[in-house]
Amino acid sequence: MSIPRNIAMALYRRFGRQRLRRIALGSIPFIVLITLWYMNGIFHWLPPVFIPTIYSVFEAIFVLQEGCAGIVEIVALDNNCLMTTNIFSSLGRVVLAMLVGLPLGIGFGILAGMNRTVSKFLEPIGIFANSISGIAWVPLAIVWFGVGWMTTLFIMLNTIFWLMFFNAMLGVRGISRTYEQSVLTLGGSSWDVITQVYLPGAMPSIISGMRMSMGFGWRALIAAEMIGGDSGLGFMIFSSAEEYKVEEVFLGVLIISMIFLLTDRYLLMPLEKWTSNRWGLVWRPA
Amino acid sequence: MPAKLIVQGLSHHYPDEYTGESVHALDDINLEVEDGEFVSVVGPSGCGKSTLLNILAGLLPYREGSVTVDGNVIDGPGHDRGVVFQEHAILPWRTVARNIGHGLELQKVPKGERNRKVKEFIDLVGLEGFEDRYPHELSGGMKQRCAVARTLCADPVVMLMDEPFAAVDAQTRITLQEELIRISIATKKTILFITHAVDEAAFLADRCMVFSRRPGRLIATVDINIPRQDRNWNEMSSNSEFTRARDQILKLVRGEVSADEA
Repeated sequence: MSIPRNIAMALYRRFGRQRLRRIALGSIPFIVLITLWYMNGIFHWLPPVFIPTIYSVFEAIFVLQEGCAGIVEIVALDNNCLMTTNIFSSLGRVVLAMLVGLPLGIGFGILAGMNRTVSKFLEPIGIFANSISGIAWVPLAIVWFGVGWMTTLFIMLNTIFWLMFFNAMLGVRGISRTYEQSVLTLGGSSWDVITQVYLPGAMPSIISGMRMSMGFGWRALIAAEMIGGDSGLGFMIFSSAEEYKVEEVFLGVLIISMIFLLTDRYLLMPLEKWTSNRWGLVWRPA
Repeated sequence: MPAKLIVQGLSHHYPDEYTGESVHALDDINLEVEDGEFVSVVGPSGCGKSTLLNILAGLLPYREGSVTVDGNVIDGPGHDRGVVFQEHAILPWRTVARNIGHGLELQKVPKGERNRKVKEFIDLVGLEGFEDRYPHELSGGMKQRCAVARTLCADPVVMLMDEPFAAVDAQTRITLQEELIRISIATKKTILFITHAVDEAAFLADRCMVFSRRPGRLIATVDINIPRQDRNWNEMSSNSEFTRARDQILKLVRGEVSADEA
């Protein structure tokens, strides 16, 4: 057997035919785009001021990291390591916003799911806040908090809190009353019902909310950093564009989508799948 | 010895969800269940039997009358009254073993003792080998076995059962009924079993209480004098005591005879 055929067989075994087909079909648009991009470097249909060459985008990594002494400086977020410093700055903001926004959103969401009065109280304001896209708050946030991490945190919290609130609330509302009653009749307290019925019962919905939070929050963050930030990938793209360094803009956009893709596919999607499988929400062939 | 469960002069009204009119669900219910007795409550749908169970379980507050379990007046749910619900009651995110041990976990029973008791009840209901399975991996009958084991493992004074076999298929139901007889002999539990199936009420119980249409009234009590160990479906079709009791209950439920004649 030939080597390509061996590779094909190994891939079949690893991924399965259907999945391989899906991956192959899904990557065609990317391959077309990259080919066009590559050919533009050769034929110069559009000047490099608009579309930089693939190589120059790759090179931009080293330009941005120029003078970066090593791991210690990368971790210390030194300004000599511009790319990694901006990546970690954006990631740090995401983590901070999640740490604050998730517990608050989940907490109030569960409360609203349990109690009609609380939900009647919070639902209208939630719809009001959600109708304004995160980025629309930026001008006001800059007036209030100035340029910096408070503004970006505020923008992200606006997105994350309400998403988590609505998802947790709907999750709790979808739980059968019998679960609650059975825990109460086994001798459980109201707190036991919250921790052992509402929280796990709403978990699939909460995890979906986390996925959406990451999606919308990440986008809101990049936009907020452009106008109201002093570091981060959005800030990096924006200031590079002002200096007509298109290759750095391209690099930034690629990094942003890559980070999103990786966290979504390798962290949040498996988590979502795990809960729905475990909770028996999806029929699985034996 | 006083009865385990005593209900005196219990009446219940609730406002209708749509019209807001007061619905008279239960009217002056008086009943007693002795220690180790198996009592069934049967009646047409809408006779308030589920309302009665919810009040006994403490899930529904009541104003008129009194309910005591082991001498204590009922005020909210508690682990002295275990409930087996119709369906969808065992938690889908807990394994069979963790569902069964849930009551003991809530009562802060140490892990070693808990595991020992959980094993005992897994054996009792015949779920050996399924300890680490999740509910969605079980059949309807196995889920209800698990629910019964969970309730018994918390060691309640009275086990209340709310049409627990109504949602399983006919063959499974027969098996589960015979299993419940065996379990009641083994554990000597006091059981109140609510059902709308006359056969089931007559087969399981020592005493059957028949409720009228709304407002739910206790119209008659039928004794079924068959030793617990003789109760299996193969014998019942030729058992005259069973057919007598079943026919009598059926007539009462259908309102063909008045309570005085019965």
